[in-house]
Amino acid sequence: MPLGMRIVIFVTGTLLFFTILELVRRKKFREELSLAWLLIGFGMILASIADFVIDPLAFRLGISYPPALVFIFIFFLLVLVVLYFSVVVSDLKGRNKELSQKIALMEYRLNTLRKKDRVSADNECRSKDS
Amino acid sequence: MKSYLIIIPAFNEEASLPRVLSDTKQSNPDADILVVNDGSTDHTSEIARHEGVKVLDIPFNIGYGGAVQTGFRFATEEGYEFVITLDGDAQHDPASVRNLIEEMQREGADVVIGSRFLGSPYSMSAARKIGVYMFSRIARLYTGIPFTDPTSGFQLLNRAVFSHLSAGDNYPLDYPDVNIIMALHKKKLKVREAPVRMVEKPDGKSMHSGFRPLVYVARMFLAILMVLLRRED
Repeated sequence: MPLGMRIVIFVTGTLLFFTILELVRRKKFREELSLAWLLIGFGMILASIADFVIDPLAFRLGISYPPALVFIFIFFLLVLVVLYFSVVVSDLKGRNKELSQKIALMEYRLNTLRKKDRVSADNECRSKDS
Repeated sequence: MKSYLIIIPAFNEEASLPRVLSDTKQSNPDADILVVNDGSTDHTSEIARHEGVKVLDIPFNIGYGGAVQTGFRFATEEGYEFVITLDGDAQHDPASVRNLIEEMQREGADVVIGSRFLGSPYSMSAARKIGVYMFSRIARLYTGIPFTDPTSGFQLLNRAVFSHLSAGDNYPLDYPDVNIIMALHKKKLKVREAPVRMVEKPDGKSMHSGFRPLVYVARMFLAILMVLLRRED
């Protein structure tokens, strides 16, 4: 792998890895969701220095330009990450629906109870007056 | 409390809601009416309250199916025996509710779907006609019953059905159409059709405009496939 390409992949991977760590530290990104992205960053760092695995594997797979294998690897990881987040979003949508329905039903009950309270308070006042 | 609940899902229907509610009250004095305000940004909720009907306010828009399911949950918790779903855009004639009830009593059905094609003539675009025909054929193929309007949201359901649909993911958030008919048939519930009167939306807008028909067809085929693949609970 050419040195320039190696540096680009290493720096990008390192930046991604530490940016994710910083976001998690600041509580802007949940720990359990950040794991997939940390794996990608770590994978990029490894790929930039793991010639002894990348080069022979690329030639064995018929890829004459080994960095292409790194990009294919990153692409597959990204597809997995997107799929994972789609599942998370889908789950959240279901929970969101459940919550909003419960809020609507509880608000109705609360208003009904308030009305009943008001009526019984009025009745009490009237009976005291009489 | 009455045994029938009319559920009217409404999203920004302040223009049509007063007429829908007054017609519904007039033609169905023996039913309670529930407006499910699906996160409207206009005065839908205030208008419904002013008309003296029950109102549920969903804090944000969750979609037609989600709003109807909220009504099913309400009916289940409150102990209603039957629910009728009626659109808030004045497309469905509330006077046709009696046709649904008569059909349910006559056939002993669990669900009666209001068909616009069994009653007075109804005009629609060629694309929609093709869609309705296609899904009618699929429903017929699966159930053996000659459905004419499986996309109709004008329905009467008994407690066994709406309490089942009120749970979890038993009812889709977006399009509860032929997939629901098939799912109910799979559960050995009796689904029938009855003639109802429907009119085209007065403002001419439809939930099936733009690219939506393509999304709808793809979505519906996926839902049908899932009904076929899923095992009975």
